[in-house]
Amino acid sequence: MDIFEKLEVLSAAAKYDVSCSSSGSTRKNTPGGIGNAEKSGICHSWSADGRCISLLKVLLSNQCIYNCAYCVNKASNDIPRASFTPDEVADLTINFYRRNYIEGLFLSSAVVKSPDHTMELLIQAVRKLREHYKFNGYIHLKAIPGADHLQIAEAGRLVDRMSVNIELPSNEGLRLLAPQKNKEAIIKPMNFISSQITQNTDERKHYRGTSKFVPAGQSTQLIVGATADHDISILKLSENLYNRFSLKRVYYSAYMPVTTHPNLPAINNPPLLREHRLYQADWLLRYYGFKADELLDIGKPNFDTELDPKSDWAIRNIRLFPVEINQVDYEMLLRIPGIGVRSALRIVTARRVSSLSYDDLKKLGVVLKRAKYFITCRGKYFGELGMNDILIRQGLLLKKPVKITKQLAWEQLSIFPPLFTPPQIEDSYTAITGEL
Amino acid sequence: MLVYYFDKTFEGLLTCIYEAYYRHENPDKILYSKPLQEDFLTESVSIYTDPEKSSKVYKAIREKISQQSLVHIYNVFLTELEDSGTWVYEYVKFGFKIGKQLDYYLSDDRVLRIVNTSRKVMGERHRLLGLVCFRSINNELFYAPIEPDFNVTALLAPHFASRLADQNWIIHDIRRGIGAFYNKSEWVLSELDIDPQNAELNGSDCFQELWKNYFINIAIKDRINPKLQKRCMPVRYWKYLSEMQE
Repeated sequence: MDIFEKLEVLSAAAKYDVSCSSSGSTRKNTPGGIGNAEKSGICHSWSADGRCISLLKVLLSNQCIYNCAYCVNKASNDIPRASFTPDEVADLTINFYRRNYIEGLFLSSAVVKSPDHTMELLIQAVRKLREHYKFNGYIHLKAIPGADHLQIAEAGRLVDRMSVNIELPSNEGLRLLAPQKNKEAIIKPMNFISSQITQNTDERKHYRGTSKFVPAGQSTQLIVGATADHDISILKLSENLYNRFSLKRVYYSAYMPVTTHPNLPAINNPPLLREHRLYQADWLLRYYGFKADELLDIGKPNFDTELDPKSDWAIRNIRLFPVEINQVDYEMLLRIPGIGVRSALRIVTARRVSSLSYDDLKKLGVVLKRAKYFITCRGKYFGELGMNDILIRQGLLLKKPVKITKQLAWEQLSIFPPLFTPPQIEDSYTAITGEL
Repeated sequence: MLVYYFDKTFEGLLTCIYEAYYRHENPDKILYSKPLQEDFLTESVSIYTDPEKSSKVYKAIREKISQQSLVHIYNVFLTELEDSGTWVYEYVKFGFKIGKQLDYYLSDDRVLRIVNTSRKVMGERHRLLGLVCFRSINNELFYAPIEPDFNVTALLAPHFASRLADQNWIIHDIRRGIGAFYNKSEWVLSELDIDPQNAELNGSDCFQELWKNYFINIAIKDRINPKLQKRCMPVRYWKYLSEMQE
């Protein structure tokens, strides 16, 4: 099997890994070395599904010993199998990197022979890059659940980010679809990495030469819609992961039926909207100071399909609004629908020197279409509807007026049989003014 | 109407600001190219670039306003928009009145348009950091053609000089006919006039093929979304991307 076919098989096998970011690390280039890491991360292309390509995302091998029902690489699946050697991966990475195609490597693998053996192969590839090629670009390595702690500790010193995928948000889900895995085996390496990061940060305060351990933190991934879990349990899980293990990101992936199994739900369309709502809520947790309990509760375990979580929260808590844009504190500004982190910061900056008018807000990038119902500006309320949650909800849901297009045929009604020329595009305008 | 003209250099623009202040004049516009047809209502004044005068303005902006403002001004200058000179002039004039707090005045148009335009330039720089695509020429030289909206080549070069420090590379801005050259130790900006379709620059490269192959396979077929793809990566950048070549 030549390298072309291998790359084809192993990149196609890796595409269901959602993680794409290359941010959070500030690794510098070394003399005679190649590469560095950019704090903000850089996207290098966008594939046909609109997801960004930042890292070379491949599996080292897809010859898996496990048989998880949801996974495309499960042992009983009849698909082409391939394995890279660690050298091949390192060589590909360097050559892509030299052409500025990628920001670094995202290496993962199916479990070959045993978790320990797989982890050893992954470390070999990474060590080749770091030590032989003096590569200082971004590396994201998957920690294989069940691998020895010593190996994970060694890998952590070489890479920028590590991740352990939870995949299924509850223990029942795991029992049903991945009976060879359990929650403890997944949480354990996560806990280990998190404690090592804490320890490392502390050590680096005392000894300057200490090498960094997973400087860009760890992340994980959940499949949405393969089990019967509600949004609230998924969001609570994420919240706990952020708080307890200080994860950088939790990725959500809408379940795609890639294999069939009696325990898997039969769906036609992947739950993309649900995934989108979870991401919106995830951002609210991390950047907007929301708690999972505020967004959802037992009476409302799933997100609204029509409204985004923030607007939904604002309408349910309409008693807190309207707020005066020139006085309210930053934390509350962030909770107003239509105001994001950037516009909130701009408002806080600009109002230090002058009070803001309604028109100023538009210039600063506030989405007034949503914000106007929840704010006053210099004491005046511009929402027109009053503080009525039902009316505001309708106001937010109002669709844009339908644009006049060719498809709409406009004609003058007639009592005689039609003897007219087909309507032209100009007629659509004259139909409104009544001069047809 | 009083209009100042300068020679399309940053120093020239700063000299205009200097002259406007010391001549006690208030130009309505500061432009970098004379119109072919002049009209009798416009009084045109050509300002000759003086490094001493411009460095005085440079220092004054840094000390009386802020380093950040200087960055904004330079970014806006790089847009090469017709109004950019006038905007910079009005921003600086306002800045000398306000001082260090200038960038708080986001509700003022003179400040907001500078901040927004500067952000656009930085945005394009960041996008290009990812989208610059090098071709390997005989494994000795890496060549990347680009056609950016703004003149950001000089902002890109330092990034690649520290990242791809051990290879020779050229970033070629085709629209402006300039290139950044790097020889494993330092980079320079200079004029460059070659055709990127030149056969010598288009040798076969197996990694280019591998990358195309990868690009196709990494997309999830059930989630194809060209609209999203085009929003993130505008089509005007596709011309020189390896993965988008036929």
